[in-house]
Parts: sequence; C-alpha cells; structure tokens
Amino acid sequence: MDLGFSEEQEMLRKASREFLEKECPKSLVQEMEKRETGYPPELWEKMSNLGWMGLVLPEAYGGVGGSFLDLVILLEEMGRALLPGPFFSTVVLGALPILTAGSEEQKQTFLPHIASGEQILTLAWTEPNVSYRAAGVTVPATPYKNDYVIQGIKLFVPYAHVADWILCVARTGNGAAPEDGITVFIVDAKSPGIAVTVMDTMAGERQCEVEFKDVRVPRDRILGQLDRGWEWMEKVLEQTAVASCVQMVGGAQRVMEMTAEYAKMRVQFGRPIGAFQVTAHRSADQLIDVEAARTIIYQAAWLISEGLPCAKEVSLAKVWANEAYWRICVEAHQTHGGIGVTEEFELGLYTWRAKAAQFAFGDSDFHREIIARQLGL
Amino acid sequence: MDFRFTEKQEALRREIAEFAKKELPPDWLSFDSFGDTTDWAFVMYLAKKLGKKGWLVRHWPKEYGGGGASAFEKLIFGDEIAYWGIPGTKMGASGTAWVGPSIILFGTEEQKAKYLPPIAEGEPDGIWCTGYSEPDAGTDLAVVKTRAARDGDDYVINGMKVWQSMAHHARWCWLLVRTHPDLPRHKGLSIIIVDMESPGITVRPIIDFRGAHMLNEIFFDDVRVPATNLVGEENGGWNVVMGALNIERTAGACTGDSKRILEELVNYAKGAQQDGKPLSKNPLVRNRLANIAVEIEAVRLLAYKIAWTETKGQISPVDASVAKVLGTESRQRLVTAGMEILGPASQLRPASKRAKLRGALIDMQFMSFIGRFGGGTNEIQRNIIAWMGLGLPKA
Repeated sequence: MDLGFSEEQEMLRKASREFLEKECPKSLVQEMEKRETGYPPELWEKMSNLGWMGLVLPEAYGGVGGSFLDLVILLEEMGRALLPGPFFSTVVLGALPILTAGSEEQKQTFLPHIASGEQILTLAWTEPNVSYRAAGVTVPATPYKNDYVIQGIKLFVPYAHVADWILCVARTGNGAAPEDGITVFIVDAKSPGIAVTVMDTMAGERQCEVEFKDVRVPRDRILGQLDRGWEWMEKVLEQTAVASCVQMVGGAQRVMEMTAEYAKMRVQFGRPIGAFQVTAHRSADQLIDVEAARTIIYQAAWLISEGLPCAKEVSLAKVWANEAYWRICVEAHQTHGGIGVTEEFELGLYTWRAKAAQFAFGDSDFHREIIARQLGL
Repeated sequence: MDFRFTEKQEALRREIAEFAKKELPPDWLSFDSFGDTTDWAFVMYLAKKLGKKGWLVRHWPKEYGGGGASAFEKLIFGDEIAYWGIPGTKMGASGTAWVGPSIILFGTEEQKAKYLPPIAEGEPDGIWCTGYSEPDAGTDLAVVKTRAARDGDDYVINGMKVWQSMAHHARWCWLLVRTHPDLPRHKGLSIIIVDMESPGITVRPIIDFRGAHMLNEIFFDDVRVPATNLVGEENGGWNVVMGALNIERTAGACTGDSKRILEELVNYAKGAQQDGKPLSKNPLVRNRLANIAVEIEAVRLLAYKIAWTETKGQISPVDASVAKVLGTESRQRLVTAGMEILGPASQLRPASKRAKLRGALIDMQFMSFIGRFGGGTNEIQRNIIAWMGLGLPKA
C-alpha cells in the first residue's frame, strides 16, 4: 500500500493552491454570486493557459495526458477555493463522458475545443421526478428522419446558461429493465427549442432548468450506442460522484481551518474561545471528519484512476463526504456565532455548497442503497 | 498511490485464516482480546501456539525475538486476528502490545533478556498487568500516590491500584510508583517491574456488570522489589509512560472485528424474517448496515493511512488520537445499530440457545463503554487533537 501522491502531484497541488489563492480570492467568489454568468472569463482563460481543462485529456486531443488522480488534486483545490464556474461541468460532466463513450470522430470534434478552454459543456440528467436511477430518465428522444427529437424538462443542469454543448440523457426505448433504452445526446446549446432558466438555488453555483421543445439532434451526435447509454453512464456517475467528493473535502478542510483560526482569534472572558473545551472539541471533531474523509475518498479516486471496479467504494466515499462536509459546516457556524451568518463572511458560501453537494450525483440514501446491494442484501 | 496489499500480505491473511479454522471451535464468534471471558486454559493454549509461530511479537524488532514487522504489517496482522476473534495475543494487559515494546525502548539489557522471551513464547511467566490508575488518579494520572521507598538494594512499595485488567493471571506488573515524595506530580514518578508472586500483594477482583472478571484492585503492603527492576531513570517514569502510551497508535482503530460483525449481521438479515418479509429487504435495516459499512471503511482506511505514515517515519502527534476517537465512537454506533437489527434477542447472553450472533454484541456493547474512556479518555484525545493538530490554546 502506498497512500501518498507522487512528487509531481504534490507540486501540482502546491502550484494550483497558490494560483487559486491569488486569482480566486473570497471577494471574487462573492462577486460571481451576483454576476449573471456566475464565473469570470479572465480567470477561465488563465486556467486554460495552464492546461487545466485538458489535464485528463490525451495529448492527441490537445490535452496533457494526466490521470484521474491528477484531476483530483485540482478539484480538491478548487473546492477549497470555491472556484466558481463551469470547470467541473465541462471537464467532469462533458469531457469525461466523451472520452469514455465517444467515437474517434466525436473525440476529435469536441475534446480539443475543451482542452483549449474555448468551449463549455454540461450534462442534463436529473428530471422533476428527481431520481438518480435509470428509471428516473423519462425525457423522450424520438427518431425523426436523420435526427432525434428531444422533448422534456431537465433540472439542476450546471451552467447550462453559458454552455456550448449540453449532454442530454434521454429515453429512446423501453426494454425489460429501466436501464435499457437510455441514450446520451450531445446537443448544441443554441439549438432551436432549448429554453434555459437559471434556478434560484441557495448556493452560487449556477444550476439550470433546461426545457427541450422539439429539439432536433442529428444521429451522429449520439454518444456511444443507441439505447445502451446507461452501461457507461453508470461509470460516469461514479466518476462524477468521486469528483464531487474531492471538491467537498477541499472545502471541508478550509472550513475546519477557518473555524480553528476563529477560535484562536475570538476573545471572550479574557481568553480565546478555543481555550474552552466544548469549542476545542468541536474543532477536534472537524479534524477527525476531514482526516477520515481523505483516505476513503482517495481510495475511490484511485480505483477510478486504475479502471478497477469501484461501485461500493464510490458510494462509501460519497456517504462519508455528504455527511462530513455538512457536519463540519454546521459545527463551524456554532463556533463562529454571529459573524458566521453574515453574507460578508465566507462561511455561508461553503455551507450552501455543502448542502447542494449532498444532493449532487446521489444523495446519501441513494448511495446507502448501492452499498446495501454490494453487501449482498 | 496504490491501495492494494502485496501477495505476501495476502498470504499472511490466508495463513491466519487457516490457523483460526484449525484451532477455534467451528461456531466461534467472540472478540475477547484480553481473554477475560474465555476459558483461561484455552487462552494460554493458543498463546503458546501463537508464540511458536512467532505470531505474538511479529511487530517487535528481530534482535528481541520479534519478526521485525512494520507498523503497517502490524495493522494487517491485528485486523486479521481480530476478524477471527483469536484470543491469546495480548499476554495479559498487555505484554505483547505495550509492556514488551516499552522494555525494548527503555529497559536494560538484563531486563530485556529476562522479561521478553516469556512474552514472545506465550508462557504463563509472560503475562503482564499494567499498574497505572488509582482511586484518585485516573485521567489525572500524574497524582499517583503508590509509594516506592528506597531501602538498601530494594524498593519497598505501599499503596493500591485499581482497574488493572488481567492482574489475577499476571506474573508481572508494570507499575507506576512515586519514588520521590517531594517532587510534584509527574516529576517524582518511576516505572518498576513487580513480581506478582511477591509477599504483600493482594489482588481483589472487580466484577463488572456483565458478571465477568477482567478488572482488579491490587494492594501493595510493604512489597519488596529489587532496585534493578526500575525501568528507565528514577523519577523519570513519566517519559516511560508517555513512550508506552504512544506505542499503540492505531489500536483504537482496529476494524477486523467490526468487519466480521457486519458480515454476520448481513447474513443474519438475509436469513431472518419480520412481518413476512426478509429483514434484508427492510429499507431501515439496509440503511443501518450501509452506515455501518461506511464507518468501518473510514476507520479502516484511517488506520492504514496512519500506519503507512509511521512506516515512512513521519508521525503526526494527533494520528493516534484521531484513530482512537473515531474507532471507539463508531464502534459504539455499530453495536447500537446491530442490536436494533437483532431486536430483543440482543439481550440473550452467549449461553442462551436463542442468542443471535452468539450473544457477541453484549460483550461488544460493554467494551464500547470502556473504549471511550480507557487508554486516555476521548475528551483528552480531543484536547490533544485541538492543541496539537489545530494549535488551539490550552485553558
């Protein structure tokens, strides 16, 4: 067993942390909460100049040829810095599926423009029935001449309002099992019939309602095979769940640090409040949560990086991350008192994201059920 | 990064499994690490066999009869032993886990030559108890009063100790005494090895609320001990104690037995019916078992991470505390959830024919109370984490 990152990965962590500390301060995150697009194009360009968008893309497609673990390093720092914008949706929700299931032609068409930072992608999955399971995919895509016609509503689509392409998980057939008959389409976001509304969510990360009204998608924009999308989408769900966990632990670590800093600084009764045991123990519990989160999440990330089966490990990690990040934020509010609930202070930014993250890519009950099945129940 | 075990490590696991299947009765489900609820003759029979295989002290340095195993291998080994519930590995409380290693760190060559081999070989003379706590000195251990007064070539010991696990089987006591009455608190303390067969020693059982005998009081009435039995410097005992406490860094985070219990609960749920439906299909049961699985995995990996960093020579001062707190508290949650799944049968002791999981959860419940305050209370552990892990100020 070797539970450390490589030297290059540690260098990447150091460099990306320094970059984000400088380029993505709290003030920027707060400003982006209010800006319509929700992200700063200047920072996006700097990131693409660093090769971040192409980090896990093969060199043949303009990428750097890094591993999923390399991406994990970046994502953790982004979670720590609360990086606003469509990096996650473009790279994790867009590029990884195309890399997994795309034809050579599709890879050539899309990946280089992702690597260069020119194009923004996202994934439209959840529907009003809010299910993470195959049966929850009901938005139909009906064949018509050389196209398919998509009709329906998708919710919680990240950054759809600025995306160039929307990967849409649709139902093209009804087989023996709900997993049969799911197809993923790469949809031009400017297609006639697409209406995008930004949903008014608690966290600043933009999530959109996307309505498809007779939206035509050419056949060659089917990702993978017709009716067989779920086979590889399950893998994508694992990747995105772990990527989300990684962002979460980055944020959780920062909240833990912030709480300890405050406990050392805030004086009452003639001493820092961190000298009082209840407050000190609350911080200790945060450290325990973060330490435990790291390795259980990295295990899942490593398995994904190696292409090994990981369904159970992914779900174990997501449940821990879901519960731990939220617990850490809740207790952080207790230590911070009044200052922690202001808009001006940054804790609230983490708190709403921790809650949103609990729901993304499988809530705890969804993943517990996967674990139960993996246990043989 | 690589989460896999080596083939050698997997082979060791298999060897332990074979030992368990050969030596333990077929329906064995018991996690009695000290041997307090197991027939003592059986405990010593196994200790001897384990000693013969070199399995009692794999983690000791080779020059002292050990296997030279790394912290990491120690954890793998410990997890597997715990999974099968193999008794006899501790040599009292505990010759193998902390007394032997402390003698290796702080003892003279004569002491090492005398005391280490019986531990390694699983002999009755290798059974130890640890004499730390007193009625007035628990968490605040530095105020111990048991006095060792120098008299010629001996120390004469007077006082009492309480909560000594396995003292009634121990040949030797690893005793914390006050050698200097005027130096305050920890400054006047020493560690001395006491022969439990010495005149003047009385061991009085403390029966716990399981009805079991693990704990004891020990009374010292003018007990003569050769001065050569002092370990480390006179009045330097606190360093020895602190060194000993740090040795069991990941003990609180052993998850082998939790993993076994989870498997047993899963099997139970699959076979049992409630209101006409298998328990395994009850969402509440599925949810509980999944949560148990999550916590076990978090603790398991945390322990491996700590052992791995130790093997690399990087030790974080809070690692042991983090592992202990999470390990002991998640264990308690596991038992609670397990009993919720087993229902009223949880109350049935092992001897009851209708007991489920051989009544193993009762012992686990009892030990879970001790887990949170024994070996350094979780309140103190959280203090350590706060002070040393986060730099929070002391009061």
